[in-house]
Amino acid sequence: MATFATVDLVKYLCTCEKKFPICRLYLCKHCLKLRCIDCVQHEVDTPYCPNCLEIMPAQEAKLKKNRCSNCFDCPVCGHTLMTRASGHISPNPEDPNKSVTKKTYYLACGFCRWNTRDINMLDQTVATGNWPMLENPHVKRINNLLENYKLMAQVEKADRERKKYVKRRSHLYLQDKFNLSPSVMKRKGLSSFSSLSLKEGDKTIEDLEPSVPVESFDPLPNDYYTQPAALEKTTKLVHRLSVPEFQPEDVSKLHPINKHLIMKKSLRCRECEHNLSKSDFNPCSIKFKIQLTALHWVPEVRIMTPSTFTYNKETLVTLTMSNPSVFNTTVTLSQIENETDVDYCTAKVELPKKELVLASRDEPSMHVYEDSSQAHEFKDDPKLIVFRKGNKIGFVVKVTPVVPQGDVKICFLLKHEFRNTTVAALQSESKEPEIKWLEHKVYLCLGTI
Amino acid sequence: MPHFEGLLGDEPRIIILDIGSAYTKCGLAGDTGPRCIIPSETKNPRNQQTSKIWDYSSTDELYEHLKELLYTLISRYLLVTPKDRRVVVIESLLCPTDFRDTLARVLFKHFEVASILFAPSHLLSLMTLGTKTGLVLDVGYQESFVVPVYEGIPILKGWRTIPLASKAIHSRIKSQLLEHGTVSTPEQKHQPVASMPDILTDELLEDIKVCCCFVTEYSRGQQIQEVTMRGGHANKLPPPPPDTDYQIDGGSVLNISGRIREHTCEVLFEQDNDETSIATLLMDAIVACPIDTRKDLASNILVTGGTSMMPGFYHRLQLELSHLLKKPCYAQQLGIKRFLFHKAPAKENYTAWLGGALLGALETLPSKSLSRDVYLQKGKLPDWCCIDSDFLLEDKNSKS
Ligand SMILES: [Zn+2]
Ligand SMILES: [Zn+2]
Ligand SMILES: [Zn+2]
Ligand SMILES: [Zn+2]
Repeated sequence: MATFATVDLVKYLCTCEKKFPICRLYLCKHCLKLRCIDCVQHEVDTPYCPNCLEIMPAQEAKLKKNRCSNCFDCPVCGHTLMTRASGHISPNPEDPNKSVTKKTYYLACGFCRWNTRDINMLDQTVATGNWPMLENPHVKRINNLLENYKLMAQVEKADRERKKYVKRRSHLYLQDKFNLSPSVMKRKGLSSFSSLSLKEGDKTIEDLEPSVPVESFDPLPNDYYTQPAALEKTTKLVHRLSVPEFQPEDVSKLHPINKHLIMKKSLRCRECEHNLSKSDFNPCSIKFKIQLTALHWVPEVRIMTPSTFTYNKETLVTLTMSNPSVFNTTVTLSQIENETDVDYCTAKVELPKKELVLASRDEPSMHVYEDSSQAHEFKDDPKLIVFRKGNKIGFVVKVTPVVPQGDVKICFLLKHEFRNTTVAALQSESKEPEIKWLEHKVYLCLGTI
Repeated sequence: MPHFEGLLGDEPRIIILDIGSAYTKCGLAGDTGPRCIIPSETKNPRNQQTSKIWDYSSTDELYEHLKELLYTLISRYLLVTPKDRRVVVIESLLCPTDFRDTLARVLFKHFEVASILFAPSHLLSLMTLGTKTGLVLDVGYQESFVVPVYEGIPILKGWRTIPLASKAIHSRIKSQLLEHGTVSTPEQKHQPVASMPDILTDELLEDIKVCCCFVTEYSRGQQIQEVTMRGGHANKLPPPPPDTDYQIDGGSVLNISGRIREHTCEVLFEQDNDETSIATLLMDAIVACPIDTRKDLASNILVTGGTSMMPGFYHRLQLELSHLLKKPCYAQQLGIKRFLFHKAPAKENYTAWLGGALLGALETLPSKSLSRDVYLQKGKLPDWCCIDSDFLLEDKNSKS
């Protein structure tokens, strides 16, 4: 049935001129314009661990490189590791005749059976918080380098302030030497880098130990020539790349991986910077504090049943339209002037000329309505409005394909009343919300000839 | 939460991005390694089709794919708000203009970043050593690329590239398997791989390379090339290492012969008709440089790129170079006696990224970057990728 399964058949034109199914659009209530995923700003809201659902404050998440300290992933299959306890019986230090049971913990994967004892990691005496972390062996060197570059950058900055317009002489000399014309240097963006290399004259850099080069390397161990590749002892590339700073080649060097945090994100209108979607702070909650999806504000058009089409012959197609608003909503449909693009329009369409009135959405009584009484209440023309049920109507359009084959596509302009029911808007003098008219271009793909 | 960060008085950290032809490295300035190394590709959530970033037919397509890739990086790995953040983009000196333009468009227009600095990968790699002079060899996916850098400036005459890298190894494995590889399925043993070529996906070839293959030792390599390149008799081949049974999906076993394990990486060192290999690439680069720079370059070689992490690579390269040095054509010209290699404080596949992370942590970054304001004002990237101070002065004038 039409667009429930294939939402792509009916698309609305976003303000940015891209077409999306209505369930993927937002309506900014401040600009009163549709927004899509490409014309909103994405923001980090709250990082949290997908396993223990603990929220981590942004600062802490930064320090911990977005990883949870208590949850671990299996380095082999990525499954969450479980903490397992095991008891050891050891003699009681106070009374040698008695023994005590000591509990120790290790991590194990319930899926592929990998565990921390496989890699000879010592069991821990406490269940959480004490697992050893790997440390990049180059940390010290990198920090030394960074400190030196920072000093040089300070010097460079001061230098630049001092002689803004004087060209560096050494620079010109090198350009001469390597036949580098200034334009080549500029184009390749090289000139601004030369200043970053260490200069002998500079006083600030002497504490950095120079990198020591080597002349020869060890040959491969003989096993490479005499043994088959030890596949069960070798990690796959994905395992290596999941820990970029370590990239272990040997399975015994794999280490539990601290679970990566995920985040709740919020969306903001690019134009007015108001929030379009903001989820509840609590990671367990699936609710939203703000959720301006267009589905809640814009009447949704669907295709009722598939029809068969013939070239140049009129076919009646039933579409449905439902009203998301708690007010009765008036809608008019009209042709889009000068839509000539055959990519989106391959048939002539005759639309209902009269205004269509959609009943309000009223959750509790949604299923009690009776077709006839409602039709009577709204004085529906049965030729036009095929049925009416709650906030939904079925209406007929006449479609005449103008291409001999291919998809039958139509488009029209949908104008509807919109009542801004945000608190702020309601607080203004009149109790009744102000009525605005919004219009959207709707594109439908009805089927093939 | 940008406001939150502001309150606590520390600047949002700079995004360091390196979109390589096979893998993308991404992280934050000041870190000791990237947060992630993921394939440079995007997956369509509906049909699960992957599209490689660099295989683009139009810049519009590239734009969409870059948007997807960056969205993944930012929202899954970095967890930061991209708006008003600075970005360092690490790029190859060979990066095509349309790629750079499109990337700038995505970053500035879609993600609204504050500024971009495009930084050449070879210079950044050298930054991780703290030296200003060196011969930087990048053995990546598409090609191997050597750039001599002297006193912080790349010597244009010395740039050399050759299409010998990971991709060449993969296609060598593939052709060898198709030629004489066998696969045993539960139904039938020892079928030729050629009868089911579809099993040889890019991922499989890469994994075979990583898990089974190695760069053999120099003298064995010479013997192999004598047979495979110069038509020597097959009995001259060194005894091959044992075959390896490689499990593939569905209970099938692919037989990886010892010859495949040992011979495929030879593609990097074979001197074909033009007598070019990775080793000659380095030699020729040095020869092209001014004579008084050669000794410094030869004694400061830095190798980067994931392919150089193959077992045995350094040992072989070093021996190849010292043998080339004995050849008359180089011996007379070069006037150097030995080669010295540096090891960066990083794995080869993210050395350039680490240089970017160092550069991005410096206070001079803003003055070298292209700001969004200037970009939007000009409507496009300037012809050059980093900005000189005069360009920025213009910016300041327009603001005041
Ligand atoms: Zn949009
Ligand atoms: Zn956790
Ligand atoms: Zn596992
Ligand atoms: Zn807005």
